[in-house]
Amino acid sequence: MIPGPFSYRRAASIEEAIALLQQYGGEAKVLSGGQSLIPMMKFRLAEPAVIVDINRVPGLDAIEERNGILAIGGLVREVALERSPLIRQRYPIIADTAEVIADPLVRNLATIGGNLAHGDPANDHPATMLALRAEVVARGPGGERTIPIDDFFVDTFTTALGPDEILTEIRVPAPPPRSGGAYVKFERKVGDYAVAAAAVFLVLDEAGKIAGAGIGLTNVYYKPLRAAEAENALLGQVPSGELFRAAAELAAKAADPTTDLRGPAEYKRAVARTMTFRALEAALSRAQAAS
Amino acid sequence: MEATTMLIGRSIPRMDSPQKVRGQTRYTDDLHVPGMLHARLVTAPYAHARILGVETSQAVSLPGVVAVITGRDLFPEGPEPAERARHMLARDKVIYYGQPVAVVVAETAEAAADAVEAVRIDYEPLPAVVDPVAAMRPDAPVIRPKELEGEWAEAGMHATVAGGEELDVARLPANITNAARFRRGDVERGFAEADVVIERTYRTPFVHQSYLEPHAALAVPDPTGGLTIYTCTQGQFYARNVTASTLGLHPEQVTLVPMEVGGGFGGKTVLLEPLAGALALRTGRPVKLALTRMEEFLLATPAPGAVIELKTGARKDGTITAIKARVIFDSGAYPGAPVNIALLLLGGYYRCENLDLEGYEVLTNKPGVGAYRAPGAPQATFAIEQQVDEMARALGWDPLEFRLRNASETGDPQPNGVPWPQIGLRTVLERMREHPIWRNRSSDPNEGYGVAIGGWPGGVEPCAANVRLNIDGTLSVTLGSVDITGTNTVMAMIAAEVLSQPVERIRVVTAPSNLAPYAGMSGGSKVTYTMGLAVQAAAEDARRQLLEIASAELEAAPEDLELVDGAVRVRGVPDRSITLERIAGISMTFGGKYAPVYGSGRAVITQQSPGFNGQIAHVRVDPDTGEVELLELVAIQDVGRALNPALVTGQVQGGAAQGVGWALHEGMIYDDNGQPLNPTLMDYDLPKATHLPPIQVELVELLSEVGPFGAKGVGEPPVIPTAAAIANAIADAAGVRLTELPMTPARVLEALRQRT
Repeated sequence: MIPGPFSYRRAASIEEAIALLQQYGGEAKVLSGGQSLIPMMKFRLAEPAVIVDINRVPGLDAIEERNGILAIGGLVREVALERSPLIRQRYPIIADTAEVIADPLVRNLATIGGNLAHGDPANDHPATMLALRAEVVARGPGGERTIPIDDFFVDTFTTALGPDEILTEIRVPAPPPRSGGAYVKFERKVGDYAVAAAAVFLVLDEAGKIAGAGIGLTNVYYKPLRAAEAENALLGQVPSGELFRAAAELAAKAADPTTDLRGPAEYKRAVARTMTFRALEAALSRAQAAS
Repeated sequence: MEATTMLIGRSIPRMDSPQKVRGQTRYTDDLHVPGMLHARLVTAPYAHARILGVETSQAVSLPGVVAVITGRDLFPEGPEPAERARHMLARDKVIYYGQPVAVVVAETAEAAADAVEAVRIDYEPLPAVVDPVAAMRPDAPVIRPKELEGEWAEAGMHATVAGGEELDVARLPANITNAARFRRGDVERGFAEADVVIERTYRTPFVHQSYLEPHAALAVPDPTGGLTIYTCTQGQFYARNVTASTLGLHPEQVTLVPMEVGGGFGGKTVLLEPLAGALALRTGRPVKLALTRMEEFLLATPAPGAVIELKTGARKDGTITAIKARVIFDSGAYPGAPVNIALLLLGGYYRCENLDLEGYEVLTNKPGVGAYRAPGAPQATFAIEQQVDEMARALGWDPLEFRLRNASETGDPQPNGVPWPQIGLRTVLERMREHPIWRNRSSDPNEGYGVAIGGWPGGVEPCAANVRLNIDGTLSVTLGSVDITGTNTVMAMIAAEVLSQPVERIRVVTAPSNLAPYAGMSGGSKVTYTMGLAVQAAAEDARRQLLEIASAELEAAPEDLELVDGAVRVRGVPDRSITLERIAGISMTFGGKYAPVYGSGRAVITQQSPGFNGQIAHVRVDPDTGEVELLELVAIQDVGRALNPALVTGQVQGGAAQGVGWALHEGMIYDDNGQPLNPTLMDYDLPKATHLPPIQVELVELLSEVGPFGAKGVGEPPVIPTAAAIANAIADAAGVRLTELPMTPARVLEALRQRT
């Protein structure tokens, strides 16, 4: 597979990268991990005239907690998330997510920024970031702005990023006490996109009731989906199998999957229900362990 | 045959492994020769369409482009060929999505890829026929007028099949290109006598062989108008003959150099060689043509799909009273489906007095099919082995006891009336019954166990080999069979055994077609079975010659001599000996008085030695997702003598792993217009390491009366029963019958939903 002709520009700084994007307008594509872009180019499904490589831009690969948030640089590789002790101990839902993305070869290069900025409802991080109520930081010619995750995903393969903006950071609220999250994915085979997957983040109050709930679904809607009704149904309730089954049912109702190679729409809806239920159980057991 | 052996029966590593592990093995696509051009195909975006025009001028004018060749260039007149490999490019109409319509030849692969996009082709789409049952209707779109169908022998190369009623295909609708029927007794009477009758329709999809190495061929023209073709074929003489006749050359004008085959499984016979050859002849330069993975899915030769309508009956006493089947093979756009073999197996595993088996090969707008490990058998077995299981359960019989009650034995008639040669089916079933996984099966919720058997008649073909003493005292075996499974290692073991030499002294050379003694395709589980005898004979000939020279030199009678490591010596007198190196020296020198040691051996076996494999599958079915987890898989196979048990075990494991692919994962999917929907390894689901439990193999050694040292063919049987065994395990676990492959979670969940 040989891509069509293109020119390649390597940015040494974020400012240079943005300047290049401004210079080439819609002709240019940002190259981060390249694990979606390069295959599309090899199949000649994408034929950008210019590639702006941001892999050498410094300062975008940190994972750190500061001021009550977790900040993940846009260039952080999936493998780094998988292996980070901070992520594994404090944000296991993000480790869950990273380790079911594609395969190890892909995860060595793929970045969390690319995973979000590609706007693919089949990608895994979007659902998790919905569940965690994250914020995305974008840099453009006019400087920096933060975008709430609910405003970030606009359409299939379309995000709120402007053509000359670059996703530089993802910000996740630090976990409150008695909280826990989990990402559970069903795939046709190891490394595939999800048939359906669910990200759940739960916060319990001192009495053990649900004080906060975030539920994101992967690949069952034209964009990453927040199961808001399911979230609301959980609030103030005592966790139980019955409650979780009802919430999972609401999440499945919110899903609007399409029939494709991963199965008929009704099947995907059933899997979304099962994944939501399993993610709720896993999140609860982590939240209870954290209390 | 039971004589003690030094090497035979020992597990030694494959001789080609170190190079492969180190990445030193060179494959066809690794070759670069001076002046070499690169070819890329322009493929059809319709499954059925008339070609109105091909505009190549813009592509030809691009930098680095040498030529753009169209179907009209290759076939200026006459009908388009009716065989896949001969039909190098479409001319008047395309008959499957992805069919090559033109080819760009350029100085670089990049220039060729860019120029492909500049070739403009006008099409007038025609109605496509995708479903084989629909294709049988008289009013279905016609792939090709019947009088233009050619002879097609490929499926016959994997098993030798005789008999059956000839159905007059000429009177059937246009897309039916082969039909066969086997009858015995009276099935209606058989059903009337039965206490249980089961009737179901089973479907299996196109399955791709999915070898790691995509097809590649490099054709080099020679100054006299001939060609040398480097290619990854499993059968060099067959590929050479097809290539030469397609190009209007004499067979000996084409030298075929068989390269390492990076996986074939029946799918690498002849495909790109004629086209690469045609391009080399037209440009006068070497041309390499290598497929991408997607092209493999679009335009190579996968296994045919099947629709099998099956009705069977049995009595309470366990007797199978009738088998009635209608087997429809979806052959894609060219004939070549294994109708007869499928019918023979479907009606031949068990004794049954009343049979009515009919089979059809049907053309559709899909790629032409080819051989894939046990062609026709996994499809037929998925149907019959589920239905036998279902009858056993319905009658309250243990599934293994029911099979033992009915199993065919040596001498029982196959559906064509030919008696089964020596077969080990009963022994395999008995070993399954004794296996601890079967005996200790648990009753955990959502778990189940299933069994199934599969058999393969085995192929035969004449062949020859020779054994030469080299100047350093080593010996070389020269043959023409391509090593796809470790056969060259086994050939070295056979020669070493006969010559009483350590195997390190033996080299095995697969010679090109202008030098090698004849060998058939490496397929049909027949290389060791037939070529092993030729090598054995050649080694015996060489041994005689060595002893003759040693006898003269040592002044001892040949019967008093023995071969030992690197020498011939007088039995009991270790210091009276002569090294093989010395024998080589005195027989290959100016003025020497001995003829060089050059043994030759030939073999022709006409008797088949069928192989049977029985499998036990243990699964867990997730009732919420429909996912089937394969927890344990046992494969028990009668292999005759296991010449190299490690290689045989590996073959059985590999076959069973591919069987898991048939069962749970693989299948090419087409939309109603014939467009393939999953022509990548992202969407075409091959089984991964995580999907496979350790496959427990047991070898049963019922020696063949004819194979070398008692060996039988090994390669085909292990892929055959897996899908049926897993389907039976699912039925045991969840009480549902899956009748369509692959048994994906979506299909399983749907079956569970319909159950409740």
